[in-house]
Amino acid sequence: MRRALPATLAILAAAALQVGIAPHVGIGGVVPNLLLLVVITLAFMEGSQAGMVAGFSAGLLLDLLGTGPVGAWALVLAVTGYVTGLVAANLFAEGWLLPVTVAAVACLLAEGAYAFELTMFGEGANLAGALLTKVLPGAVYNAALALLVYPWLARAMRREPRLTELRRIG
Amino acid sequence: MRPACRCTCPRTRSSTLCSGPRWRWRKRTSSSSCAAATRARRRKHAPMAGPQPEQRPASPWLLVGAVALSLVLVTVYVKEGDRGPLHLVRRGVQAVAAPVAAVGDWVTWPVRAATTWVGGFTMSKADVAELQAQNAELRKRNAELEEARLENERLKKLVGFAEAAGLDAKGAHVIGRPSSTWEGVVVLDLGFEDGVTTGMPVLSAQGVVGQVVESTLGSCRVRLITDQRSGAAALVQRTRATGVLRGSVDGGLTMDFVDRKFLPQRGDVVLTSGLGGVYPKGLLIGEVVDVDARPGDLFPDIVVESKVPFASLEEALVLVSAPPAVEGGAGE
Repeated sequence: MRRALPATLAILAAAALQVGIAPHVGIGGVVPNLLLLVVITLAFMEGSQAGMVAGFSAGLLLDLLGTGPVGAWALVLAVTGYVTGLVAANLFAEGWLLPVTVAAVACLLAEGAYAFELTMFGEGANLAGALLTKVLPGAVYNAALALLVYPWLARAMRREPRLTELRRIG
Repeated sequence: MRPACRCTCPRTRSSTLCSGPRWRWRKRTSSSSCAAATRARRRKHAPMAGPQPEQRPASPWLLVGAVALSLVLVTVYVKEGDRGPLHLVRRGVQAVAAPVAAVGDWVTWPVRAATTWVGGFTMSKADVAELQAQNAELRKRNAELEEARLENERLKKLVGFAEAAGLDAKGAHVIGRPSSTWEGVVVLDLGFEDGVTTGMPVLSAQGVVGQVVESTLGSCRVRLITDQRSGAAALVQRTRATGVLRGSVDGGLTMDFVDRKFLPQRGDVVLTSGLGGVYPKGLLIGEVVDVDARPGDLFPDIVVESKVPFASLEEALVLVSAPPAVEGGAGE
């Protein structure tokens, strides 16, 4: 990843916000997953390989910040970053609808996969209850936040400076 | 005159730049100026453009490696003890994250206070706070007195039995709240230098909050009793029926393995039974709010509601020297 430093800074900033601010903007027990949003954005901007590396790193950080089994979020976010990068590379569309749609689907699948992992690891998660009370509301919340996170991070991660039009005066 | 860029737009069939925003350009030849023009066009619609065209192709083997490494980490974490390397790293991260959580708690306090005040528009904030505190105190006092009365009756029958209920507790402030949808955890500002160790019970004025799962320098993590990983040996005050209280992913509490002969009713008080080895006997947990005793089921489904305001909890008590729990119970 050529943009390793900005990506690392984005992940660390998201982790700090996840610990400091996200718990206080939760709605009905659903806390936004800012690290997941950053991973999706990086996968969109940098491709599947960078998305996977960012996903694994961010997931590991999220695991260490929580109390669940270490490695569970790393697995989920690595796959999420990889698949999101592949989807973004094979779609050609502009505007806000595509990243937000992909973010909503990615959040839904990522949170669902984590719920499934908790069930598999015997962490006591009721899969049906988790889908209704955590996964679906979380996907909606995260997709709404993607509208805010994606444009700013995408601007920050842009490789070349913005081109300015030179108007010729005749 | 030949055009500088030999791309064709599928809509206009011309080599001039197409003004339409959503057309893929077909390259006839590899022209660097064409790629630059395409990138420039994409950036005109930034920031919502797709991925950059010169991305490195994805390697499936890297993904396989990441998945394998994740599974190895999970296996190591589950197999290692509390003193294992991953647990130590997590404690280190927690020590770094605790001040960040405290800053976030401090920064967002005005907003939370404002929303709480708006929520109680019908009365002044001071009145609401006073009545809530009074209600919680009376509820706790009532449960304690009822428990004392029943205990007194039992003790009359048991000659020579005496129990000193001296609880050595330390007050703590909540400095961190659940940072994920899947975490039922709060962070307190007491650490191992204050004598707080893993497994200690944590209380509030409204009842049991949970137990310490990790203690580090300056902070400790408390797993809430409503977390899906939590469990506690419990007792219905009126019927003396024992069971196991479990949290759930949606924050609810259920009481399992209660004998049908001692079926509780709505409103019955649920206490800790002391059988688990973590919580001392007689601590208030909550009230029974629903009992579903179908004839075909071996045990009834009992839903318990805790009165602890987990979302707005600000102070808690850590029992640093609790009286010994009853031996012989399963671990909590």
